[in-house]
Amino acid sequence: MAEITVADRVVSGKYKALNLLSIAKMGIKNGPYDMARDLIRYPWLWELLKVNRLITKLTDGRSGNYRKAISMLIHEVTKEVINLLEGIYFRKDRLVLHEDMVPPEILRAMGLSPWMPEVLGILLPMLEPRAMEPYIDVAENEGVPPDVCSLPKAVIGMTQKNFLPPAIAVVTSNLPCDGGMTSYLYVEKKTNAPVFRLDIPHNFKEARAEKYFAQELRRMIQWLEAHTPGRMDWDRLKSICEERNKMQEYELELWDMVSQRPAPLSAEAVYLAHLWFFNVCSGLKSATKVFKKLVELAKENRDKGVSALPDEKYRALLWNPPTLHAMDLFVWAEKNFGVTCVMDSMTFNRLPFINTSSEESMLIGIGRNIMNGPMARHTRGPIENYFDDMFYIIKHFNVDMLWMAGHIGCKNTQALNTIMREKCREAGVPLLIIDYDLSDTRIVPREGIFSQVEHFMENVMGVHSQMTA
Amino acid sequence: MIGATMDLQKLLDEPLNQLVEDAIEKGMLPVGYACSMVPEVLLSIGKLFPVRLRAPNVAGTEMADVYLSSVICSLSRSLLEFALEGKYSFLKGFVFTASCDHLRRLNDNLRYCEKPEFIDILDIPHKITDEAVQWTIDELRRFAQQLKSHFGVDAGNENVMEAIRRRNILNTLLRRINDLRKSQNPPFSGTQYHRLIMATQVVPPDDAINLASEFLESVTRNAEHPRFRARVMLVGGNLDDPSYTEIIESQGALVVADRYCTGSFPALEPYALEGDPYEILARRVLTITRCPRMMEGFPVRLEYIMNLYREYAVDGIIIESIKFCDTWGVETSALVSRLRERGIPVLRLEREYHQSGEGQLRTRVQAFLESMGK
Repeated sequence: MAEITVADRVVSGKYKALNLLSIAKMGIKNGPYDMARDLIRYPWLWELLKVNRLITKLTDGRSGNYRKAISMLIHEVTKEVINLLEGIYFRKDRLVLHEDMVPPEILRAMGLSPWMPEVLGILLPMLEPRAMEPYIDVAENEGVPPDVCSLPKAVIGMTQKNFLPPAIAVVTSNLPCDGGMTSYLYVEKKTNAPVFRLDIPHNFKEARAEKYFAQELRRMIQWLEAHTPGRMDWDRLKSICEERNKMQEYELELWDMVSQRPAPLSAEAVYLAHLWFFNVCSGLKSATKVFKKLVELAKENRDKGVSALPDEKYRALLWNPPTLHAMDLFVWAEKNFGVTCVMDSMTFNRLPFINTSSEESMLIGIGRNIMNGPMARHTRGPIENYFDDMFYIIKHFNVDMLWMAGHIGCKNTQALNTIMREKCREAGVPLLIIDYDLSDTRIVPREGIFSQVEHFMENVMGVHSQMTA
Repeated sequence: MIGATMDLQKLLDEPLNQLVEDAIEKGMLPVGYACSMVPEVLLSIGKLFPVRLRAPNVAGTEMADVYLSSVICSLSRSLLEFALEGKYSFLKGFVFTASCDHLRRLNDNLRYCEKPEFIDILDIPHKITDEAVQWTIDELRRFAQQLKSHFGVDAGNENVMEAIRRRNILNTLLRRINDLRKSQNPPFSGTQYHRLIMATQVVPPDDAINLASEFLESVTRNAEHPRFRARVMLVGGNLDDPSYTEIIESQGALVVADRYCTGSFPALEPYALEGDPYEILARRVLTITRCPRMMEGFPVRLEYIMNLYREYAVDGIIIESIKFCDTWGVETSALVSRLRERGIPVLRLEREYHQSGEGQLRTRVQAFLESMGK
């Protein structure tokens, strides 16, 4: 376990102070009256105020550049959340709700303010593990079957409680799953806003699918121009795409370093960075800067021969979304078993840069990113999409074990667990399937998740916790 | 009439029924399909004939649960169970559509476990635009090419149009039968009708036409006019077991209209006969099934149900969905509230694919009828 120095504490303290400052600035900019009103109107804002707890949680036992990377990352996410909130406060006339599989790059290029309803379902459980449970209950009380994924249920619950900001339009899609797709029936009815739905083919890797989806994106742009004050600015889209490409270059550099044993940075520094900045803030200069900084920190570690974990014993591939309400899973696993997460299924991709030479090429590139987006590229198309990536990562990132975050509401992945088990057995890859629910601690609490890992490490990997030894 | 329905039930007791066996003996090739979005007309060309995949009287899904998990709908699990038990070994191939997460994963697991010689999954868009129609046309032509290379079937325009015409004969007959349900005292029960409509999906097309003709003749000659307390409409996804309707009707309800995937609406609407047959099929696939997986179709689906409600003088609507079905699960919640807002009595039932909870079903239907004052 890493020794935490005074300098380490100062680093995380600094970013906590910066978070408080950013929040205070937001309050001042919004004005005390409006801020108070919004805190009543959107009670989830209170949960966001707990951001510094996440720094405490995720820096526990981590030191040096690893600690710095994670503290910095959380601070940058905080700043971007505030930017998004400003869309609610100050640009109401341009606020568009968009589902997580809709490219915010286009909305930004059109001068619109994007707000992704799923963002709260992802972010809030990280800050307050039980935050989404009341909303899940609301959805179920509305008659939504309990077996539907808790992320769309949380969106439905928030919609029914009127906790989504009023939007001038809604854009959604048929990704990543049937539950997510159908949940927007509720958003449509409650917001009473016009809705556009993007259609993504099943065999999305075919060239004709890319063309089809590019046409869909073009129709979405035309529709948005007809229903909102947004106007497409192709030059702006070009600079957004170029910025995204730069960010991707940095990310590839980071992955190169992470693929080496031991990894100079890992876990949230890899997956949280991708989850947030590629999906929510892609194309923003601030997002590129975050990856540039991560690369610098990783390089510095690598050059000095310092690894994220002082004693990296095992490297895990995390499959499926991270355990949101047990975000410190890898903090705990690092301390107890020397296991670090070097890559995850939501982050990894093998996509080319967006070709910015024409409108069409940009739409094809953005479309390709969405179709290969988190979860979507594994939950659509043939199972080769799922397993090719899995075993490529295992080999390329020198992975020792596969941890499948077996979110009970993800029927798509649940239905492949046995094939995965058989393929892992054949390849000699130790596999842990963690039973849990993405956003509902009542299904399996944090302790339940940890004890599954503990059993696996002890019984399959044959190691005992360093903490109890 | 009773003899006819008994025969129909026999056809439904096993996937391999007498008429399928006879057809195989004559050299015909049965191909299984699992969703109403599969254009079964393309499987009715040359020596091919379509058989809707069912798992009648499935006792358990222990093996399928291992692969698909217990959170996948019991229809998919039951079909995989039957496949693993070799009950579809008479089929020469399988066709799916990427219609929902469950059927897609059934297709994946079936490929992995059984490695069928012919298996295809059609990629059908989730909305209706000119581009979606063109996509579907291309997809159907690709599929036709697969049929040609594997089975040697010529799915050229002429043959497809001929299959469409033949399908229209069946649809015309079924529509005539169905229209009789509009009368104040329909001459047959919903259960009898359910048996007929299911039987036509599990036998060769010519046999289906014969069954429908015989049924029509029989009910015209010898009407039963079952007694009932209330006229109900049955709405939902895949419902291929007529005993479900039978239980509902045992409490005094008469199912006079239906909108479920394996039922009469909207499948009986006539096919267009002018133009490119692949375009006819593509438009039909996209528009006729009215499945909740079509993202923009909720208002149309709601209105469709409302029209049936009025046209068939329905007293109340029963919406059934198979547990774990995401599309119907969420759609049903929305449908129930919109229908109730319009003052329509609605009973929502969640069920398993196989018949279970019979007593509970009886009680709930009884209570529903009483709540309507019937």
